[in-house]
Amino acid sequence: MEMPLRKRRLLLAAALLVTAGLTTQFALGRKKDKLAEAMGMDEQKRAVHALNRLTFGPRPGDVERVTRMGVDKWIELELHPDKIDNSALDARLGPFRTLRMGTKEIVENFPPNPLIKQIADGKAPLPTEPTKRAVYEAQLQRYEDKRERKEDAAKSGAAAGDPQNASGAGNTSSGNDGASVCRDGACPVSGDSTNPADLDQMRRREQRRLANLKTQKLLDLPADERMKEILKMSPEDRQAIATTTKGAKADALMEGMSPQQKETMMALNNPEHVVVNELMQSKMLHAIYSERQLDEVMTDFWFNHFNVFINKGADRYLLTSYERDAIRPHVLGKFADLLVATAKSPAILFYLDNWLSVGPDSEIGLGIAPHRRNRRGYGRNPNNRPSGKRRQASGLNENYGRELMELHTLSVNGGYSQKDVTEVAKVFTGWTLDQPKKGGAFRFEPRMHEPGDKIVLGHRIKQNGGKEGLEVLRLLARNPKTAHFISQKLAMRFVSDDPPATLVDRMAQTFLKKDGDIREVLRTMFKSPEFWSPETYRAKVKTPLEFVVSAARASRAEVEDARALVGTLNNMGMMPYGMMPPTGYSMKADVWVNSSALLGRMNFALGLAAGKIRGVKVDSASLAAGTAAEGPTDPQQALANLEKLLLSGDISKQTHDTISKQLEDPKINQRRLDDPKRPPNVAAITGLILGSPEFQRR
Amino acid sequence: MSITRRIFLRNGALAVVGTTALPSFLARAAFGAADQGVRTRRLVVIFQRGAADGLNIVVPHGEPGYYAMRPTINIPKKSVLDLDGFFGLHPAMASFQPLWKQKHLAIVHAAGSPDPTRSHFDAQDFMESGTPGVKVTDDGWLNRALHELSAGQSAPGKSAFRAIALGPSLPRILSGKEPAIAINNLNDFSVGGKNPKAAPIANTFEAMYENSVDTVLHGTGQETFDAVKTLKAADPAHYTPATNANYPRGRFGDSLKQLAQLIKANLGVQVAFADIGGWDHHVNEGGTQGQIANVLGDFSQSIAAFWTDLGDLGEDTVVVTMSEFGRTARENGNRGTDHGHANVMFVLGGPVKGGKVYGRWPGLSEGQLYEGRDLAVTTDFRLVLSEVVSRYLGNKDLKTVFPGFDGESGQFVNFLG
Repeated sequence: MEMPLRKRRLLLAAALLVTAGLTTQFALGRKKDKLAEAMGMDEQKRAVHALNRLTFGPRPGDVERVTRMGVDKWIELELHPDKIDNSALDARLGPFRTLRMGTKEIVENFPPNPLIKQIADGKAPLPTEPTKRAVYEAQLQRYEDKRERKEDAAKSGAAAGDPQNASGAGNTSSGNDGASVCRDGACPVSGDSTNPADLDQMRRREQRRLANLKTQKLLDLPADERMKEILKMSPEDRQAIATTTKGAKADALMEGMSPQQKETMMALNNPEHVVVNELMQSKMLHAIYSERQLDEVMTDFWFNHFNVFINKGADRYLLTSYERDAIRPHVLGKFADLLVATAKSPAILFYLDNWLSVGPDSEIGLGIAPHRRNRRGYGRNPNNRPSGKRRQASGLNENYGRELMELHTLSVNGGYSQKDVTEVAKVFTGWTLDQPKKGGAFRFEPRMHEPGDKIVLGHRIKQNGGKEGLEVLRLLARNPKTAHFISQKLAMRFVSDDPPATLVDRMAQTFLKKDGDIREVLRTMFKSPEFWSPETYRAKVKTPLEFVVSAARASRAEVEDARALVGTLNNMGMMPYGMMPPTGYSMKADVWVNSSALLGRMNFALGLAAGKIRGVKVDSASLAAGTAAEGPTDPQQALANLEKLLLSGDISKQTHDTISKQLEDPKINQRRLDDPKRPPNVAAITGLILGSPEFQRR
Repeated sequence: MSITRRIFLRNGALAVVGTTALPSFLARAAFGAADQGVRTRRLVVIFQRGAADGLNIVVPHGEPGYYAMRPTINIPKKSVLDLDGFFGLHPAMASFQPLWKQKHLAIVHAAGSPDPTRSHFDAQDFMESGTPGVKVTDDGWLNRALHELSAGQSAPGKSAFRAIALGPSLPRILSGKEPAIAINNLNDFSVGGKNPKAAPIANTFEAMYENSVDTVLHGTGQETFDAVKTLKAADPAHYTPATNANYPRGRFGDSLKQLAQLIKANLGVQVAFADIGGWDHHVNEGGTQGQIANVLGDFSQSIAAFWTDLGDLGEDTVVVTMSEFGRTARENGNRGTDHGHANVMFVLGGPVKGGKVYGRWPGLSEGQLYEGRDLAVTTDFRLVLSEVVSRYLGNKDLKTVFPGFDGESGQFVNFLG
């Protein structure tokens, strides 16, 4: 049944392409005759297309592998990621312990400021385990220092002193003068000092000097001894070492340490940063190395759909669990399950403020005192605790109600009104958190919940406590507007910026017929003629994430430390988990094609190929060698090999000629002319191909 | 009356100052724009993304309802920096006071979009496209504002820096058929950095994009390389901020600092765009201190520093600020505010008749509020922009810039002299 259909399709495609005169575009590295090529989707081309759309970009050898397996069979496998072995990725993620911890455990091991404050105020004990204790003590020290500085500033009446300014202001003259008054890294606050900023600066300078000496001593020890020595130090010294050791010196200090020891070292400086850093790095490693690529693409898609900004307070600690426990299990499952999981997730409840939303006529809204026996249950939410100074929280917060309909389900054209937003907000009152800053979990608090029936989109939601929310989520999940919106977004990710309405409609039908089964919706799309139409081939412009990851995959990059890749994405405007508004990042070309972005891509391509991205190794020579044992001495051969490897040969004649001409330019080629045996500059060729217009598309 | 920069310039009286050498703008005019006999008029648009709370920015402290509606987040009368007995600035905006007193800064209150949406995404989109309620508009008004100018008396001609956005991507407001570029960081704005060995690689990339059949990337590539070359020749790094221009640290301050460099380097900047986020205060908005005070400090100090930094060039610059909508008149249950309707716009510049709050104040009593909850819009944001575009930039074709809008010059707010 499929054959005749495909034949017709191919004929049509061929006709289209010939008339469009596109046959001249891909002229290189292909042996088959031009007409067959123009028909677009022979098995090899289908493999390239499928890899470009279902993965973060083909690695060397992937096209051959998928062609051998059969494209349709491979797609079916990708739709069942549990059948794909992913142990190599797991091994790479091994050092990142937070990825396997619950939120409470993360908070305990990497204490955030509120927890430290509690200990400083004597309201909680220090942990006894020595490593943990060391981390806590360093933070306590930091906390006390900060408090002291504040007090100093207040005393001297100095205008709101920014400690960052003070520290950055200058260490140009690291003087010996004044050093003698300070011992053991801390200067006493002497009365004769006039300016606390100066004093602060002096103290810091001295701290740095002593810390440097100690670091030098530590460096002479074997790795294991080093850690022991650090744990034996006074909290002040430890903190000084942690904060003054950066860059190469920090690397040297951590050289040879176990992953956990390294984590501890970083946590001494900034525990919160360890959590964020491990999550961001793991995002890059997942995208680059996961064998379950479709699963990973969908994780990225759904995270972005249910976007949460990592730098909103407690969300720094909540996103690890959010992605792992709310998003990942459902990326190919039922949409309704995904919706419920996100609605109950602490990350969303916190990000969209619902945890604070109180029904105006609820017990707490009306200020009715709790029954004695209930007191233990609700008293843990600081906002519910009656307090002299603070006004009781007593109002609705519409934020989640609105975004739930606008961004998560119906879409902005979904036909809901302001009244619906308010009613949905009432429905979700009481969906709250216990102390989000300490890793608290979701719970339903009846005393915050607005009583009475609610009307949502014309449906009466009977008063039913926490179950009202579930009813509304079910209602929204099976709404045809939702089916259409989700299908539209999926088609934008996988097919084109402006996907054909006929395809979106068919996907939406599947969505409704199969109860929001995402795997089925994807299957409808992957089997559609629209997905395989020749004009979709390499038509999507890569987002910065897709570009960076596809370049790393294509060049077989060995990533030991993904921080530089995260930084690259930040510069390109697409920091992982870094989109502040709930809309998530755009998938469309016009947002990502501009001067800054383009220069960023060219520079990254050159840097990657030349091995100048910190923590990332690329062996351009072995890439250029292709199947041969040794690298080619002929630059043109190297170019041909790299075009095939990095772009499956889909390079335009114009781009090929431009690079080729450069290779022959005597000014550039002089050294090679002097020494014919000198290998060509394969890193430059690799960088040029990765920065070419062709590589910006998938 | 003190001698303002404006009076000095209008009189063209070099001798009045006569202390140092030729004023920098005249020196520049002698070498550059003087050929055309006109100076470049510039429009800088600043977007406060996330819906800034206009009622706590330019505070209606004379409005009885204000304090009752915001019991925990109001700005007390004693803290407000009074402007005219009824309105006052948030205390974190002290750096705006001198600009107000010198009459360079005007305010339009209760301005906004007539569209009722309370979606950040849609409302920003409408304000950038300049077509509230119409989603299919595919270009931005700031780009369209250049259409007529390029044909006519445009001084900077085809400068690659004619239309720029500070940031990693080109915003909606500047997209369209007029070339426009996004600059995230001037120092990174080249291929291969300052390394001379990188030159052949950069040339190869340039040729590659120039010859590319990929229409989207080809166009952007060309704009990019033009800009890189121009920038290299002008070397804006050489223009350090003026002594009194204290830009706060952070993205927004950096954006304006770099914009000032580009303007001072005489690169023909005609329209520019920068944005600042962090206004969506649903929870713990704060009053005189707290979240809103912090972001307002960053916002106002950056703009004030930019103004100081421009020096004489401020005479040929108009800065307009906007935000997608305001916030609820009443505070919500979390000492914050939810999405509202009208907002406040600032207009700063040489030709501005400042020191006045423009626009009709709709009031905050129950019957006066929009949908019973938000400040009503009495001045369409497009009317404010139309005045700048037509009267200042000189583009009279407002039907193209704001299609579907029937604001006529007779209705203008008249904040421009």
